[in-house]
Amino acid sequence: MRRVRAPAHPGRVAILQADLLAKRFGPVTAVDEVSLTVAEGEIAGLLGPNGAGKSTTLHMLLGLVTPDSGRIRIFGLDLERHRTEVLNQVNFSASYLGLPGVLQVREVLDAFARLYGLRRPAVTVAEVAELLEIGPLLRRKVIDLSSGQQTRVQLAKALLNRPKLLILDEPTAALDPDAGDRIRNLLVGVAREWGGAMLITSHNMREVERMCDRIHFMSGGRIIATGTAAELADLFDVADLEEVFLKVARQ
Amino acid sequence: MTTTAFPPLSAAARRRRIGGVVRRDLAALRRSPIRIFEIVFWPTVELVVWGFVTVYLRAGDVPFIVSALLGAVLLWQILHRASNEVSMGFLEDIWSRNLLNMHVTPLTAAEYLSGLVVFSLTKVVFSVAVMGTLAYVLYGFGILTVGVALVPFMAVLLVLGWALAIAAISCVLRFGEGAQVIAWSLVFVFQPIAGVFYPVSVLPSGLQVVAWFVPATHVFQGMRDVLGGAAIPWDRMAAAAALDVVYVALALGLYTVTLRHARAKGRLSRFGE
Repeated sequence: MRRVRAPAHPGRVAILQADLLAKRFGPVTAVDEVSLTVAEGEIAGLLGPNGAGKSTTLHMLLGLVTPDSGRIRIFGLDLERHRTEVLNQVNFSASYLGLPGVLQVREVLDAFARLYGLRRPAVTVAEVAELLEIGPLLRRKVIDLSSGQQTRVQLAKALLNRPKLLILDEPTAALDPDAGDRIRNLLVGVAREWGGAMLITSHNMREVERMCDRIHFMSGGRIIATGTAAELADLFDVADLEEVFLKVARQ
Repeated sequence: MTTTAFPPLSAAARRRRIGGVVRRDLAALRRSPIRIFEIVFWPTVELVVWGFVTVYLRAGDVPFIVSALLGAVLLWQILHRASNEVSMGFLEDIWSRNLLNMHVTPLTAAEYLSGLVVFSLTKVVFSVAVMGTLAYVLYGFGILTVGVALVPFMAVLLVLGWALAIAAISCVLRFGEGAQVIAWSLVFVFQPIAGVFYPVSVLPSGLQVVAWFVPATHVFQGMRDVLGGAAIPWDRMAAAAALDVVYVALALGLYTVTLRHARAKGRLSRFGE
């Protein structure tokens, strides 16, 4: 099954372009000839059941995993050869990552601001804290925060350098519905205002429908379909994205 | 929100990134009094134990051995702490599931290791200052008795400690968290053959040959020479410095290879799980 549609943003500059990425771990093909683009200002989703190859794909796009074959260009630069320049403009947040627990939130954010070479770390930390509504948490240790609060701090970390490409692996997995809703609004607002690109994975179909301009659906290491939520529902002849997911997962 | 940043490849950006690692680790130290306790505790225990041994020996009127043992304890701590502190910085990133966060920043491998090394230097200096003071107050042994030779001695041991730490980190990258015991124990592999507490001449002849390929051997032998009234053995120090360069080059090579392997095999990603 291979039903891939044309890119939804043909006129826009591609921030991220991945061509024919492949990755095997021993006998297992984790990612098989995956090609995708994310355009300037676009919020793209990467969906699929567990083991579909989403996280491996994201990790290849971040340089954490080296592809066996294929090519990754971000801002027109080859990721392998221009790692520092590229990663300076990219950021990442994932529900499975942690932060140094003994540090206060402001110390964590200050350290990461410096890792991105920011000239005025304290000012940026204050601004991003206001954006994420974590001002009252700044002087608390990370280890003392709830998982939802830690997620917001992770997201604050991910916005410090005002990334032109923001990659999020299940960004709202640990948040309650209210906090999740507010974070989704914030991320959409940030993408629109900053004009950057965003690539997210999520198992929350409503979140993906609401946030994403375009969705890449993965299964068995391949992208089997690309389109808007409505286009995918039409393509699979079901009512919505949730049913697309169930149909693919059970095939 | 406005952000202004240094160009990513500029010297200012590199300094800022290394400083970020150092400041983070300093903040972690400040927030965790138990770690400050640890810096002082183990070296002090070792010093006290060996100090009383030397008090016993002093009663037998062997003052040279007394000084040599106390000097050895102090210099050994430099090597031990330099190695352990760098390893600890890396392991803490694993324990807090922060390693992937670090690897998706523009921080280069060289900058990351430099940050760990600079931070370890501050802890080693603090630790040695505490121990040196205790040795003087409790046993009347002034580390400065070694004189100006202390500078090359310390430098050789620091660099060797960092090289061993980078090698240990490489092993963890290659074999996973289960290999972290190497981070604690690698330095002790060198203790018996480096002639820390006894001259190399007491080792079996085959092991003596091996011992002279360890930079620390030249330092501990040199320390005994100086305390015995001889001039600073600059030839030994030159040999030790040359060996240090080889050890560092090998360690960095190993780190580069294992990091590449970790990325190829997806092992780096597993540190985030």
